[in-house]
Amino acid sequence: MIQKKICLIGPSGVGKTSLIAKFVHSMFSDKYLTTVGVKIDKKTVSVDGAEVMLMIWDLEGDDDYQRLQMSYLRGTSGYLLVADGTRQITLDQAIEIQGRVAAAVGAVPFLLALNKSDLASQWEIDQSRMDDLTARGWQPFKTSAKEGAGVEEAFVELGRRMIQPH
Amino acid sequence: MHPGARDPVEEFEELRRLLLSREREQLRDLSDRVADKERRSRDIASVLPEAVKLSRERGEQLTNALRPAVEDSFKESVDQRPQLFVDALHPIIGPLVRKSVSETLRRLLQSFNQTLEHTFSWRGLKWRWEALRTGRSFAEVVMLRSLVYRVEQLFLIHRETSLSLLHVTANPALSKDSDMVAGMLSAIQDFARDSFATGEDSVLEEFRVGELQVWIVPGRHAYLAAVIRGNPSLELRPALQETIETVHVLKGSALAEFEGDASAFESLRHELESCLRAQYATTKEGGRSTRAWIAILLIAAMAAAGLTLALRNNAKWESFLRRLRAQPGLVVTEARKGWFGRSEVRGLRDASAPDPAAIARQANLNPERIRFHWNDYLALDPASVRRRIEQRFGVPDQARIGIKDGALEIGGSVPYEWLDRVRREATLIPGVTSVVEKDANIIYDPDLARQRFEKQFGLLDTVTAVVENGVLTLTGEASHRWLTRARAAATALPGITKLDDHAVIDLDQRAFDQSKSIIESAFIYFLTDKDDIATEGFAALSRLPDEIRRCEKAAKQIGLDVTLEIHGYADAIGTEARNADLRQRRANKVRDFLVSCGFEPARLKPIGMEQPFKAAPGDKALPEQSQRRVALKVVTKPSTPAP
Repeated sequence: MIQKKICLIGPSGVGKTSLIAKFVHSMFSDKYLTTVGVKIDKKTVSVDGAEVMLMIWDLEGDDDYQRLQMSYLRGTSGYLLVADGTRQITLDQAIEIQGRVAAAVGAVPFLLALNKSDLASQWEIDQSRMDDLTARGWQPFKTSAKEGAGVEEAFVELGRRMIQPH
Repeated sequence: MHPGARDPVEEFEELRRLLLSREREQLRDLSDRVADKERRSRDIASVLPEAVKLSRERGEQLTNALRPAVEDSFKESVDQRPQLFVDALHPIIGPLVRKSVSETLRRLLQSFNQTLEHTFSWRGLKWRWEALRTGRSFAEVVMLRSLVYRVEQLFLIHRETSLSLLHVTANPALSKDSDMVAGMLSAIQDFARDSFATGEDSVLEEFRVGELQVWIVPGRHAYLAAVIRGNPSLELRPALQETIETVHVLKGSALAEFEGDASAFESLRHELESCLRAQYATTKEGGRSTRAWIAILLIAAMAAAGLTLALRNNAKWESFLRRLRAQPGLVVTEARKGWFGRSEVRGLRDASAPDPAAIARQANLNPERIRFHWNDYLALDPASVRRRIEQRFGVPDQARIGIKDGALEIGGSVPYEWLDRVRREATLIPGVTSVVEKDANIIYDPDLARQRFEKQFGLLDTVTAVVENGVLTLTGEASHRWLTRARAAATALPGITKLDDHAVIDLDQRAFDQSKSIIESAFIYFLTDKDDIATEGFAALSRLPDEIRRCEKAAKQIGLDVTLEIHGYADAIGTEARNADLRQRRANKVRDFLVSCGFEPARLKPIGMEQPFKAAPGDKALPEQSQRRVALKVVTKPSTPAP
């Protein structure tokens, strides 16, 4: 089976960890995030009939550890960039982070997940912003940690992008 | 046609020659190349390696195409020239086999040593107690307690992606989630490196968690992470280093180009597994081997003692059985030795046979531990018959007895009484049909001989009997009848060869003698010249009948018939004729008297005696008057037995 390392990146408080909690096989506790700054989970997805094992490095989102995060990014085949759809500022932070990540690891496939899609009333990302992102070629996925919506699809899509020749 | 003009075909040909001469030259050359086999081979040879390389990179087509041909030629080659392969493989297989054998032996020896040590040492006992207490298996306790170190897991991790390339473990239960562990190991390395701001090439070489430690051995593209229980020896690190280098040698390009497919590294499993080594505590060699030797010697000694005991026991048992079987009158049909319980013996036993329990005791066996089952039977072998005789009669010290064809042979000195009983009763014993005396010297007990005599004849109060050297001496008084019987039959009694009866008085003879003497000394005096009895003659005459009867009676006792001669005497005065008549008349007178008294006339014989009476020869002549008498003479003859 093909293995791929991916990273889960995003500003703090966007619900990265809870976003994947229901979808992955986990053996380490969340405590690792605050101690080591990373927690590794595993998820197997089926991409067009091929099984791909994703080793998901859930990186602590605190900005103080930016440098630390960079070394965790090494060797990643892709990353899931997570922002909180109910807080516009996290999207800005995510875009900023993506810039730095791309600088560190190069042009590896990534996917933007706008989390907390279940809180429609508090949604702050308007359509023009969405169009803007689409124009960048980012094709954001709306996800909900609470309802589990969009998460599986996000992983499968990321897996597909990593496997297909760029 | 223009004279200078050429044939257009020729011209075209010329043109073609001018324009294409180089190409034609090349074409010819190429055609030659294709046609010339040797040149073609040379050409292909020069490109073949490159072509094979390219073909392999594209896929397995070439391999698949070549495989049957290679396999066939290989097989044919092995079939036809096996020696070639033997020679080629020998340098490899020889050391391999040697190494494998020596390794196996070493492990065997080590495991034996450990078993001994764990079995007999104080520590071994402690571990057993621990195993009992904690519910773990003894092997587990031993392993944990004697373990110096053990490489439990080994990860081959790709440096760049932190992905697990291969994971080997001594315990398959630990293999789950190895990929996540591998990732986290990388993360921790990064964490350490970043936290303490060391250089990019710095590596967290080891860290320790409880009884475990993790050693990281880095390579260019991948590193090894070894999870080790205990305290590894220093030689482990070079070994791991060598392994990671081997990995890079074998799979360098695959590592460099790793895209997430770890299956290419599966072939490294053997290399990695060879690093799953363990080292167990070895106590002082001397101590262990001493303990082992002591244990072995102890076991050997115990085994030898047990064996000796068993052999001795068995020897005793065999000896007992031999003795038993040798006993006449005992037939052992079945014997079973009970090593721990009671032994059993079955068979036949003659009543005369000795007690088997006593034989067991003689063989130093406890009869209590043997159960006997005997059936009665009659043994007819000489020894049993002899024993039966001994039991019934006893055998005197000086006697010799033997059994031959059913005959009881008796020799030596034997008391008469014993022999007598044997003669009478021996044939009642099973196995004895006759009694034969061979040179038997019969000994008679005098007292017993005397008792036999007394029993036979009824000893009178007046007689004393003594037997000495076979002579029966009687003293005292006895009736003639008794004496006669004794005389006739005493020497027929066993133990009496001669009768000495001179000292015994025959009472009947004496009575007869006395009567005879009284009768013959009675003088019946007559008056002068008359046949009238003088006064004093009457006195004598009157006493005679009683005496004669006594005499007759006594004579009868001693077997005599009595006739009385009545001698008539006369004195010398007067004529002879007268005197002769007188003598006769006087005799007749007494006869008549006695007849009148009832005596049988036939037994009375009156005789006129011509000679004068003489009291005794040599006596001086009696006075004349005393010749006028009648004297009696008792004449006896043996009585004729009554018809």
